[in-house]
Amino acid sequence: MIPSTPADQKPKSIPRAYSHPGLPEPADKNYAVIGKSKPKIDAREKVTGQARYTADLKFPNMLYGKILTSPHAHARILSIDTSEAEKIPGVKAVITHKDVPTLKYGIAPARWDENIFCIETVKFVGDKVAAVACIDEETCYKALKAIKVEYEVLPAVLDPLHAMDADAPQIHPEYPLNKNTEIHQNFGDVDEAFRKADYVRTDFFIGNRTYQAPLEPHTATSIWQDGKLTVYSSTQSPHYFQYYIAREFGLPMGNVRVIKTYVGGGFGGKLEPTGLEFGGAVLARLTGRPVKMFYDRAEMFAHNRGRHRQYMKLTTGVNADGRILGVHADFIMDGGAYTSLGIASAYYAGAMLTLTYDFENYRFDMNRVYTNLPACGAQRGHGAPQPRYAFEAHLDNIAKELGIDPMEIRLRNARKPNTITPNEFVVNSCEMVACLEQARDLSGWADKKGKLPAGRGIGVATGSFVSGAGYPIYRTDLPQAAAMIKVAEDGTAATLYTGATDIGQGSDTVLCQMAAEAMGYTYEQMKIVAADTETTPHDFGAYASRQTLMSGAAVKEAGEEVRKQLLDMAGEMLGLPAEQLDVRLGKISAKENPETALSFEEAARTFFVKKGPLMGRGSYAPPKLGGKFKGAPVGTSPAYSFAAQVSEVEIDEETGVVTVLDVWDVHDCGQVINPALLHAQVHGALYMGMGESIWEEVRFDAKGKIQNPTLGEYRLPTALDMPRVHSSLVPSYEPAGPWGVKEVGEGATLPTMGCFRNAIFDAMGVSVNSLPLTPEKVWAALREKRKANGEDVWDPLACECFLE
Amino acid sequence: MFLPDFDYYAPESLTEAIGLLMQLGPSARVLAGGTDILVKMKSGLLAPSALVSLKNLHELRRIRWDADRGLVIGALATHNEICNSAVVQERFLSLAEAAHKLANNQIRNRGTIGGNLVNAIPSADLPPILIALGAYVTLKGSDGSRTLPVECFFTGVSRCALEPEREILTEVVIPPQETTGSTYLKFGLRQSGALAVVGVAAAVTMEGDVVRDARICLGAVYKTPTRAIQAEQILVGKRWNNNLLEEAGRAAVGCCLPISDIRGSAEYRRDLVRIFTRRALKCAITKGHV
Ligand SMILES: Cc1cc2nc3c(=O)[nH]c(=O)nc-3n(C[C@H](O)[C@H](O)[C@H](O)COP(=O)(O)OP(=O)(O)OC[C@H]3O[C@@H](n4cnc5c(N)ncnc54)[C@H](O)[C@@H]3O)c2cc1C
Repeated sequence: MIPSTPADQKPKSIPRAYSHPGLPEPADKNYAVIGKSKPKIDAREKVTGQARYTADLKFPNMLYGKILTSPHAHARILSIDTSEAEKIPGVKAVITHKDVPTLKYGIAPARWDENIFCIETVKFVGDKVAAVACIDEETCYKALKAIKVEYEVLPAVLDPLHAMDADAPQIHPEYPLNKNTEIHQNFGDVDEAFRKADYVRTDFFIGNRTYQAPLEPHTATSIWQDGKLTVYSSTQSPHYFQYYIAREFGLPMGNVRVIKTYVGGGFGGKLEPTGLEFGGAVLARLTGRPVKMFYDRAEMFAHNRGRHRQYMKLTTGVNADGRILGVHADFIMDGGAYTSLGIASAYYAGAMLTLTYDFENYRFDMNRVYTNLPACGAQRGHGAPQPRYAFEAHLDNIAKELGIDPMEIRLRNARKPNTITPNEFVVNSCEMVACLEQARDLSGWADKKGKLPAGRGIGVATGSFVSGAGYPIYRTDLPQAAAMIKVAEDGTAATLYTGATDIGQGSDTVLCQMAAEAMGYTYEQMKIVAADTETTPHDFGAYASRQTLMSGAAVKEAGEEVRKQLLDMAGEMLGLPAEQLDVRLGKISAKENPETALSFEEAARTFFVKKGPLMGRGSYAPPKLGGKFKGAPVGTSPAYSFAAQVSEVEIDEETGVVTVLDVWDVHDCGQVINPALLHAQVHGALYMGMGESIWEEVRFDAKGKIQNPTLGEYRLPTALDMPRVHSSLVPSYEPAGPWGVKEVGEGATLPTMGCFRNAIFDAMGVSVNSLPLTPEKVWAALREKRKANGEDVWDPLACECFLE
Repeated sequence: MFLPDFDYYAPESLTEAIGLLMQLGPSARVLAGGTDILVKMKSGLLAPSALVSLKNLHELRRIRWDADRGLVIGALATHNEICNSAVVQERFLSLAEAAHKLANNQIRNRGTIGGNLVNAIPSADLPPILIALGAYVTLKGSDGSRTLPVECFFTGVSRCALEPEREILTEVVIPPQETTGSTYLKFGLRQSGALAVVGVAAAVTMEGDVVRDARICLGAVYKTPTRAIQAEQILVGKRWNNNLLEEAGRAAVGCCLPISDIRGSAEYRRDLVRIFTRRALKCAITKGHV
């Protein structure tokens, strides 16, 4: 949510330290259920193949739908003729922009710029033009082929660095110069800081366009019956889907039910409804039958909403001892054809740079530009990982120039707990120093730095991420999360109802552990109903690493309400005041005299007989966070995780191949609920960061068509490419989180790219200033260096050719 | 991404299969593991009217050692069958290793050596080592069979000497030989499931430190897998050392004409040819097995 008040004035000087009023750290952390590696609640269904994903669902009379997309990056639609398609047997509906609402939509309210189907122009290869519903998938392809669209091809904007040129083609007439989001933020006095600095340095880096590539393709099945629309979807947020689908069709939210099934990964790409939901709903209404729509792998790449490519210029002024005095970040990001979540991505790109190191003066300039390429959005770590790569690389350049050890310069600048960033983020718990020290010690930094054999190098980088965004994506006063717990009549089970969205990361498991802990119950007796807008209470879903803290806070409150009612009843039954009773793992006992005991089941059953259902309710709204300047809400959070990574690499000096040998990730993520799941998140986040560091990039040809929309050519690393991963934690307690929790799901993606770059820099003394750090780029950099050193470098283009 | 309509046959004998091909006309195709042809059909590059599956021709699966002819590999042997075969490992371990470097486990379970050759893409992993080891193929048609060195089998990108409307590739034979060492090195952009950016196979016959014979074959850097004859000539009759191998590597670059594509620039590929030719030679010379 971006308030529209133009308030880019220099803010008053803000306090830099404070103390948080939240819950104090408990002396006794003898928890019964949390802090333990309980098995995932859905592990059995998943490993046995019983789990039903959206694509597995079948309904009587169900039709299949597919979308016709644009073959051109930028073109005017002259005519669409669907008559031939309609004649094909088995085709039940063919729709274009004439058959659907023309209200523009988008996940970010400040820029609703998408239509269900293009009206005048198509804006990227893959833009939605029409859709069909047919009795089977095969007929869909025949029907799509039979739709005749006449285009007038227009010049396209494919290079984001020229999107703002005066003579560049205009993509959206409403947004001149193809400017989608323009940011100018200024905190403190950067110019003055640079004047005072002993050393000021500027570096330029380029990121890469990457895609989330979840294993499960996007799928939605829509049923529109008696004025009510039901959508089964592979979604990260039933709530945002419900909200935006209801808005598009003018339906009350109560008549739109969005149900998440099992989801095979999202990583940010399934946060917003797509043509599958919007087009599918219309097709379901027109045909009166359920319609199942899905993207195949190439269509997923075209729909995209993956990582923005950023062009990043960084200038930093430091003291002779390496203390950072001021930073200026000047970025451009390639947004693609639509906004998606890109406004937030653009703000995040700069906002998150102030977290891991403490400095006072900061300026952030950004232009997110429209191009005729697939729209970018939020991908694990949101806008932050590429700027983090740039900054960590920049900092190593500075350290090298000043002759300071990279670990040391980070320790000198590391943020401390109970501080405030220049852009007014309140940081409570922060073990940045401890993370760095532990990563240093575990990796054997002192024995390795500068002492490794030729071709080997070691690098360090940091990261920090929000534990839930302080404000939802659209402006609303709804609480962030809510939960309900219903205890079964005989007390032998309890069901947690939550809108929180398990997309594979394990929130169902973690929240059931939290519910059981708060109730005094066992995890094994917990059931869960989640992420169905009709049966479960509101929650914004899985993004911004929010659920453990935010949904968890609501669950804790619901559990505590159950516990209170249960102990009141037990008190009545035992003739003791409730305050003298305790309940743990389903056993109620008197604190003073543990022999006086009663089971959870007995008390719960009696409660039901006497008073009706035993239920608990909870909700969570964060305090008001952040400053008053434009864009201030983005990056606010009740709590921030911190991480340090060290990696050791080996480089083939001839081919440029980088082999990552070991990575040590040390995390400050507060109280851990499920250690096994936590380390799995670190591995997964690190894996994604790794992929973006060395392997992954979506590439386009000269006409804006994706060259590698397959898992064969969009190379995610494989198990064989993984280094040894050492995931470790520092003790930490977060006063703003239930039991002291913070995020972990995205944080470990942040340091990796910079960490690898720095390890390569250490090994070879060459800097690769763009992602991914491919073997060919390392090879080229090494050759440049040898040439610069006056070495004789053999030229493979100038050799004798024996072929005729 | 949907298979177009086609007729499907699964004949019980080779004669029947060849008969079907003749009868069905030029737009029928043989189906082996399907890892190439089905992908092409799904993406609309190919729309054969009929597929003749070889799955019932069990005799084409066999891998055996024949004292006279050498290692005889049925066209339907899968990559995993080749790399796990005891006789392949014993006689030509380098071929087993090359098969293991191909694609990923799922593809290796289905893809066949026959398909790998007939598909004839420049980056295929088996041709370089087969050429370096002097292998030949048997092509069977209605009026008999012919044999052809693998080296002469490829005629262009996705083109080979097999006449698809009347011939079936039945076996690949590696003759007994005096080769003392061989290897295939693949440079792909990840450890599994990546096509070769450059592939180099080398086979050498050593007499002490002296190179008596050398065969080098390059993959992914020309329209077909290609011998690096000039590089071989540098070696023959000489006592090997690192400088000699580097010289051969440089000469090998003159024997190829790589393109620039999303997997690598021509310049990079050429330097990789030099590096991997040198490394492959060293490996073949020093590792002591074929
Ligand atoms: C994800 C993926 C990764 C891959 N990676 C690699 C790799 O790393 N290296 C590599 O070399 N290849 C790779 N391939 C290509 C492919 O898997 C191999 O070339 C495989 O060996 C093909 O064999 P097949 O049996 O599946 O052929 P098919 O698809 O069945 O057939 C391919 C062609 O050969 C013809 N054909 C097959 N057998 C015969 C026969 N006996 N006689 C006459 N014609 C025949 C068919 O008609 C067809 O035209 C990859 C493929 C995929 C899908």
